[in-house]
Amino acid sequence: MTTWAVRALRIVLGCAMALTAATAAAQGAKGKLVLYTSQPERDASQTVAGFKQANPGVDVEVFRSGTTEVMGKLAAEFSAGQPKADVLLIADAASMEALKRDGRLLAYPNANVSGLAPGSFDADKTYFGSKLITTGIAVNTSAKNRPKSWADLEKPDYKGQIAMPSPLYSGAAAIMLGTMTMRSDLGWQFFEKLKAEDAIAVRGNGAVLTAVANGEKPYGVLVDFMAFNAKAKGSPVDFVFPAEGSPAVTEPVAILKTTQNADAARAFVDFILSDAGQKLAASMGYIPARASVGMPSWFPQGTRINIMPTNISAVVQSNSANLKRFADLFGN
Amino acid sequence: MAQRSGEQIEERALLWALVLAAMLLSLLPLLRLLLEAVAPGGTLSGRAFESVLRNPATWTATGHSIVTAFGGTLLATVIGVAVGLVVALTDVRARSAYVFLFVLPLLLAPQVVALAWLQLFGPSSTLLKMIGMAPALGSRNPLYSPTGIVLLLGVQYAPLVFLTLRAGLRTLPNELVEAALAGGARPFTVLRTIVLPLMTPPLVAGIALCFVSCLGNFGIPAFLGIPGGYLVLPTLIYQRLAGLGPSVLSDVAVLSMLIGVIAVTGLALQDVMLGRRDFRIVTTSTTPRTWHLRRWRLPVEIALWSLSVLVLVVPLAALLLTSLVPAIGVALTAASATLDNYRFVLFEHAAARRAFRNSFGLSIAAALLIAALAVPLAYFMVWRRTRLLRWLNLIAELPYALPGVVLAIAAILLFLKPLPVIGVTIYNTVWIILFGYLARFLVLGLRPVVSGYHQLDRTLEEAAQIAGARLLRRLRTVILPLVAPAAAAGALLIFLTAFNELTISALLWSSGSETLGVTVFSFQQGGDTPYAAALAMLTVVVSVSLMLATMLVAGRLPRGVLPWRD
Repeated sequence: MTTWAVRALRIVLGCAMALTAATAAAQGAKGKLVLYTSQPERDASQTVAGFKQANPGVDVEVFRSGTTEVMGKLAAEFSAGQPKADVLLIADAASMEALKRDGRLLAYPNANVSGLAPGSFDADKTYFGSKLITTGIAVNTSAKNRPKSWADLEKPDYKGQIAMPSPLYSGAAAIMLGTMTMRSDLGWQFFEKLKAEDAIAVRGNGAVLTAVANGEKPYGVLVDFMAFNAKAKGSPVDFVFPAEGSPAVTEPVAILKTTQNADAARAFVDFILSDAGQKLAASMGYIPARASVGMPSWFPQGTRINIMPTNISAVVQSNSANLKRFADLFGN
Repeated sequence: MAQRSGEQIEERALLWALVLAAMLLSLLPLLRLLLEAVAPGGTLSGRAFESVLRNPATWTATGHSIVTAFGGTLLATVIGVAVGLVVALTDVRARSAYVFLFVLPLLLAPQVVALAWLQLFGPSSTLLKMIGMAPALGSRNPLYSPTGIVLLLGVQYAPLVFLTLRAGLRTLPNELVEAALAGGARPFTVLRTIVLPLMTPPLVAGIALCFVSCLGNFGIPAFLGIPGGYLVLPTLIYQRLAGLGPSVLSDVAVLSMLIGVIAVTGLALQDVMLGRRDFRIVTTSTTPRTWHLRRWRLPVEIALWSLSVLVLVVPLAALLLTSLVPAIGVALTAASATLDNYRFVLFEHAAARRAFRNSFGLSIAAALLIAALAVPLAYFMVWRRTRLLRWLNLIAELPYALPGVVLAIAAILLFLKPLPVIGVTIYNTVWIILFGYLARFLVLGLRPVVSGYHQLDRTLEEAAQIAGARLLRRLRTVILPLVAPAAAAGALLIFLTAFNELTISALLWSSGSETLGVTVFSFQQGGDTPYAAALAMLTVVVSVSLMLATMLVAGRLPRGVLPWRD
């Protein structure tokens, strides 16, 4: 009886150990991973928690700030010769493209890109769009007007009523600026008119949301998920997809060439692009890159969002000139 | 003879150790920045100077900085002096409670103060809605203006002037006052001709500290100035740096030197003012005379308490209300009020818990280390008049006068690569933040001690010296007890400032070394104002509890150790 029990226990333990070894081998990744990201605080910690669940052996350290600030920190580290980050998860592809040109990114040819839209990841597999974040117009529910298009914001009704994120802080706003200034229907004229209407540029999308929800500025240029997440929690905020189309960013994930832990970095990219990672993004209110996992709950059933096409390489070219011009125009 | 030279070696060693430590903290980061300014990227060039000095934005921001710093200092001085005189010299009641309340704003991070005041006045202000006075949707918050910045700077730093003045008033010689009164002088004449002139050293020190604080303040002009496009030098630097990256590091180094020049000018003025006359006081009395206000007592008390309710209680109430709403803009009712924000920051958000631990550790370490450094350093500066150190005194002001972002960038440049010789990297650890705190807050600990030495007579120490006590022994047994109240006041100021510090840690933090300021700021920037408000409220609760806790042991401490204790 006792021998049986011992034998059974041994078998169970043996199986358990074999299983553990197998999972460890399958996951493999361990050690420390440094992530630089522009995700909002809560989303970043949820993303890391999700990743750690799938890769318990990896210790993740996070630096979070606006995309431009993350890029600034990276550039400082490059010039000192000691980049700390292993993986990046930042708002826009233009920043990634700039890093790629400088030879900073590590290609991951075996990344699972099946089911992703062809334009959403780099053809050389150095960075991969993880979601779709569009920029539209957030409206305080007590506001008088209901803008339908970007052009509506130029009207005198909106004088002194508009807040927008500064492209000097937000990567999504930088893409918006690059995309919209290149269009004949909007162009720099649009931003000059907004300035003439006393629109203000605040630091990031979070600050825009605060201003709109508070009613300090009833209208705001804002990313979709923030508006809808706030609305879901009861904030008096609505969101409009403008008629001309919505500039969008893909929040790409990429591995730095100088990574100290390529295995863990690849595991992170795997997780972000996996069904689990994509579902997590959708549950946090983002439109996932992999459409098959389903849309976030706020997503209007059956509608198609009209995305403004962005010429990434042109935006990379003009980005620093754009930022300077914007800074001169809006003072920040 | 042998003893003499042994003492000399001991003094030399101590002096050089102090010089080395002070240089490492103050001069090294500045030199690194200077190098960046004159030799951008390593090659000598005047390009950075030229591009910055030719840019009109530089001079606009410089003008704004001077206006707001002067305005804030003036307001803080008026409030600080008025409250200081009344509280220290008259017979108003409930002084302990009042001092506690009045000093409290100094504990709150500037960004928390700004956040609280913004909650108070915005169109969604719960408080104003309750009394039907909320401004219309889209109306500009009146605080988004230079006046708003001056107002909050004044409120924030008035306790600094108050604290240094009150410490000085404790040594006010009663003999002189009694003599004047016996000679028939009226109270206001005594105030004008005896009290205020004698209080020049602490007043000038307090005002100088207040001026550099206003000049280098980042949180208030960031919250109130940036939305209205009203940039001061620190916010201009931060925006350039954050927006355009280290490519503008050289420009930013030049800008920061501009702030340094303004600060040093102000401080040099202070030295000139104090250098002309001898303000040393010899007195045997320990408690200043109490003036009886008689029928003016109640009106004065009402004025005092209204001031504190207005500048502290009301904004904090607004912050508390914001921390209870489920999302921004939701009307607060009995049904909608929630503790979810507190639950999240306390139990669900690991970083917030770490932030409490880190901020505690960093503030305590910075306060103790600086106090240990300041006592011997100020001794050489003031009593021994070591020329080298007096010059170093000005240098030590700079890391505090400069905006924290600049010191942070200097620290990144210094510490990104492993330390020479020992090969350890402190970048991305809490140690780099500790370095930043030590460098930046050294002057906070040094100033009260320096002013303490200025007011103390050296005869006791000289007597000990003649009796044969060596310097280290004199420091321990004679000097330390004399300056302990000043040193403790400095250490507490450092703790209070460091506990909610944001500007340095904003650029130096990494996962695992988050500070409370960073976590509050991250929430706020991500649009999670209710989380930010909840965490800010918790820091307020912790700070106040700590202050109350120190009151329990107050009886064992020398008088003047606890700034908030009457």
